[in-house]
Amino acid sequence: MNWRKWNRWIHRELGFLFFGMTIVYGVSGIALNHHVTRDWNPGIITRSTFAQYPDRIEKSAVDRSTIESILEITGEKENYKQYYFPSDELLMIYLKGGHITLDLPTGRIQITKIRNRPVFQELNYLHYNKPKKLWTWFSDLYAFGLVLIAISGLFLVKGRKGITGRGGVLTILGVLLPLLFLAIYLWL
Amino acid sequence: MQRAAFLVLVAFLAVSCKQVSKENSTESTEVEQIVSATIQDLLATPADYDGKEVAVSGMVTHVCRHGGQKCFIVAEDGETQIRIVPGGDIDEFKIDLEGSNVAFKGVFRVLNPVETDELVEDYESKEHHAVEQSHSEAEKADYFVEAIDFKEVTP
Repeated sequence: MNWRKWNRWIHRELGFLFFGMTIVYGVSGIALNHHVTRDWNPGIITRSTFAQYPDRIEKSAVDRSTIESILEITGEKENYKQYYFPSDELLMIYLKGGHITLDLPTGRIQITKIRNRPVFQELNYLHYNKPKKLWTWFSDLYAFGLVLIAISGLFLVKGRKGITGRGGVLTILGVLLPLLFLAIYLWL
Repeated sequence: MQRAAFLVLVAFLAVSCKQVSKENSTESTEVEQIVSATIQDLLATPADYDGKEVAVSGMVTHVCRHGGQKCFIVAEDGETQIRIVPGGDIDEFKIDLEGSNVAFKGVFRVLNPVETDELVEDYESKEHHAVEQSHSEAEKADYFVEAIDFKEVTP
């Protein structure tokens, strides 16, 4: 078997083997990008609804019965944990899986429910190497496999479309682009 | 051959037992060094606690939504808050901790002026910090607890 056949074999077999890992890191990588820019939180889903407390209420007048009445209005009696005042005009009631805020001067109630975002939570768990232990070694193996897939990919095709032709131009472009971003955002 | 294997096993057990007893003695030394303090104690004389292992507890008012890399507990006065960051084997704080009373064990740290400036600069650069929150002061304070262990306690 010549080296090109070995090269194709490595590229094909590793490609199949690491398909799942590439999806895990690719999808969670997009999530991570937008998490870093803070325009989206991939780990949790937050939903808010609103209600109205019938009266104006002073901070000093808030007691257990006030809390119970708010929990009654919002239907969150079963989920109550504790309450506190983030400021003189705001009451926060902590719930299992969220919280309620009451704007004391206006009586406006906001019920915020928080839950883990399915799929992304699991993908991010793996991407951030939270499991540690054996996962570290497996993901290292994947990273090494990815390097092999990339290198073997350069030599899959011969001729005009290969590394000596258009493929080479695209490869150089792919190396220059990250360098360009580094130059713009970091070095200059 | 069997004799050699037996000797290896005995040697392994001896080393293991020695390690366990060493770990236990380290643990007991560490426990002796932990200072139990209220949030107000820590903030009244931060220099006294700097670098010391402390045990502190309170209701968690907020967990950072972006990775759970900090949370805040409030003192019994209902106003004073302190920042807790994960250390040791703790990867992050879960949002579920909000509204729970939590006892933390960790190291109290006081930043030097340069580190404090960097912290405040970083804090002010974040868009989501534009609106002042009840934990904002604690978030940019030069003191915090680096937690190495924590446990939810019944209110």
